[in-house]
Amino acid sequence: MLDAKPAKPLVTVKDLKMYFPIHTGLFRRHTGDVKAVDGLSFTIFEGETLGLVGESGCGKSTVGRALLRLYELTSGSVTIDGDDIATLSSEELRLKRPAMQMVFQDPQASLNPRMTVAAIIGEPLDEHTDWNAEKKLARVYELMDAVGLNRAFANRYPHAFSGGQRQRIGIARALALNPKFIVCDEPIAALDVSIQAQVVNLLEDLQEKMGLTYLFISHDLSMVRHIADRVAVMYLGRIAELSPREPLYADPLHPYAKALLSAVPDPDPETEGKRQRIILQGDVPSPSNPPKGCNFCTRCPEVIPICREVKPELAEVRPGRFVACHLVTPDNQKAAPGSTGGPEATEHNQQGEPKK
Amino acid sequence: MPDGAKPVLDVRGLQTVFRTRGGDVHAVNSVSFHLKPGELLGVVGESGSGKSVTMMSLIGLLPMPPAEVRAGEVLLGDVDILKITPEQLRDVRGRRIGFVFQDPMTSLNPVFTVGNQVMEPLLRHMNMDKKQAFARAVELMELVGIPDATRRMKDYPHQFSGGMRQRVMIAIALACDPEVLIADEPTTALDVTIQAQIIELVKDLRTKLGMAIVWITHDLGVIAGIADRVMVMYGGQVVEQAPVKELFANPQHPYTRALLKTIPSVSGQREARLKVIEGQPPILGAAPTACPFKPRCGHAFDRCGNENPQRRALGADPVGYGHDVACHWDARTGGPV
Repeated sequence: MLDAKPAKPLVTVKDLKMYFPIHTGLFRRHTGDVKAVDGLSFTIFEGETLGLVGESGCGKSTVGRALLRLYELTSGSVTIDGDDIATLSSEELRLKRPAMQMVFQDPQASLNPRMTVAAIIGEPLDEHTDWNAEKKLARVYELMDAVGLNRAFANRYPHAFSGGQRQRIGIARALALNPKFIVCDEPIAALDVSIQAQVVNLLEDLQEKMGLTYLFISHDLSMVRHIADRVAVMYLGRIAELSPREPLYADPLHPYAKALLSAVPDPDPETEGKRQRIILQGDVPSPSNPPKGCNFCTRCPEVIPICREVKPELAEVRPGRFVACHLVTPDNQKAAPGSTGGPEATEHNQQGEPKK
Repeated sequence: MPDGAKPVLDVRGLQTVFRTRGGDVHAVNSVSFHLKPGELLGVVGESGSGKSVTMMSLIGLLPMPPAEVRAGEVLLGDVDILKITPEQLRDVRGRRIGFVFQDPMTSLNPVFTVGNQVMEPLLRHMNMDKKQAFARAVELMELVGIPDATRRMKDYPHQFSGGMRQRVMIAIALACDPEVLIADEPTTALDVTIQAQIIELVKDLRTKLGMAIVWITHDLGVIAGIADRVMVMYGGQVVEQAPVKELFANPQHPYTRALLKTIPSVSGQREARLKVIEGQPPILGAAPTACPFKPRCGHAFDRCGNENPQRRALGADPVGYGHDVACHWDARTGGPV
C-alpha cells in the first residue's frame, strides 16, 4: 500500500520535546519536569494513516496536541506542509489552522451543549471564511451528508444525539475547512463496540474521498492494525518502534512492542488457549523521573547491562522499520538473523559503541 | 440436572425496572442464568444492555427507588436472597458474594488506608480481632501480588497505581472466601499490559481458591481467554448462551454473529473493511413485545416484530446448560424456526 504512493512527507517532526514544569514549595520553584514527550522524530507521508499507540501516560495524546501547537513546544520542530508551526506567529498560525484539524476523544465534552449542530459544524467557517449565511448552510448540509447525519437534525443540540452521532458531528466540524491533516485523538475510545466500526469505516471513506492524512492515536491495537498504514509504539515519552503495519504485528522487534502485542486479548478461544503471553512486571515509571538509559529497562524481560546506562537511539534496523533498542541491530550487522536477544546481540552493541 | 453439580448461584426470571419521570425503563427483562461451582461465566454486552444492572440487582446494590426488582428469584445455595431482610443481605454481600467494580479509582475510599479497607470485611464478617485481621489482610495482599505488603497496608489508595488498586479491590472481594465473585468490567479502566497481569492473577486465583466467577465485560477478546461459558446480553435480555468455544465457533444469534465480525483482531487475516451493525442500541422503554434487536437485524421477519423470542435450547441440554439462543430465525437452516 505504502510503496504505491509517492512518499511525500506532509508532517515532519524533529526531536519534539514537550515538558510540563513541576512547581513545588512555598515559592512555587521550578523543581523538575514531567517529560511527557522526550525527543520524538518521525514523518507522516501524504495520504497515509500513522497509528500512534501506547499505554495511558505514555505521551501519545500530548504528541497529537503538540503537533497542532495546542501546546507551546519545549523544543524541536514540527513541519506541516512546508511551515514549521513551532515558530509561526499567532496570526500566521491562525491562517495555517484550516489545513490541520483535530477529532477529540470525548464527543460529549468537545461539543458545546448550547450550540446547534449547524452552528458547531459551521463555526470554523465563521472564523476562516467571509461566506454569507446561505453559502455556509449549504456547506454545513454538504458536510452532514458526508458524515452520514440527517440534514433534518441541523437545528438540534448535541444532547439529542447518541455517542456515535456526536463523534460524526466532531468529524464534520474537523472537515469543514478541507484540511489536509487530521489528528484523531482516541476517536472511538468512548464508543460501543458496534458503533466503533461505523466511525472507523467513515474515517476510512473520508480519507479515500478527500485524500486526508491521519495521525490516529489509540490504545486499541487491533483497531490500529485495521486503520493504520504505519504504526508508532510509544513508551514513556519516546518511540520504541515505528514500523509498517504488517511487519510490526507479525514480528515486533522492540521488547515492549512484543509485550504489548502479546497482551492484547484475541477474540478466539482456540488461539487464546495456546498463546504465550509476555506478562510485564510492575508499572510504568513516572515521566517526571524516567529511569537512566533506556526508559523501558525497569520492566524489560530482555534487559542487559548497557540498557541501564545508555539511551538507545531510534535507528532504521530493517527497511522502513525504526527501533530504539540495544538488542535490535541492523540486519547487515547480524550474525544470526532472526534472533534478537542473547550474547551475540550484546557483542554487536559493544562493537557499535565506538562509532558514536 | 446435567453435570450433576448443583449451581452455587441460580437466577431465575429476574426483572428490574427503573421508575423515571419519563416512564418505566425496563433494564433487565426475565434474565435467567446459573453458575456452577468453580465456573467462570462471561457476560458480554454493550453499554445499556443490562449486564451490570443484572448483577447489581441480585445483590441489592441498586438505589431503590428508582430501581425496582419486579420479579424473579436469586438462589444462593437454597436461600432466595431477594426475599431476605437487608440485615441478612449485608451478611451475604462481601461474605458469600464478593464484588470487584470497574473503576478502582473511585471504588476505594480515599480517606482510609488500604489496610483498613482490606481488614474491614474481615472484622465485619469473620469475627476476627484486629491482630488476626491485620495478619490475614497482609496474606491477602501478598496473594494478589502486591509487593512489600506489610508496609503498603499503611498507604492510602492514591499511593497505588491503577493496576495495584484493582489488586487491592480483588483482595477485599476475596477476603472472606466468597462462593461467588462478581467482577464488573474489572480490567476496562486498565492498560492492556496491566489487564494481562490482572487476568493472569484471576486465572491463578481460580485454580488456588476454586470459587465461581461472573466476569462482565464488553471485550470479547478477554472473554475468549478466560471464560468457560458465555452469556450475551442485548437490550436487557439474554440473547445467547453457550460454552465459550461453542459460542465463538458456532454463534447463532444474529447479534452475536455481527458482533464477532465487527471487532478486528491483532492476529489472523486483516479485513479490508470492518463489518458494521447499522443503527443504534435500543432505548428500553415499555416492556418488550418485539425482539429488541429487530431494527438492526438482517434476518428479521414479521414474527420478530410481534413476539419477543424466548430462549430455546439447540441441543439436548435444557436452556442454560448447553447452547441456547433467543431468536425466531434459525442460523443453521437460514430460515424461520
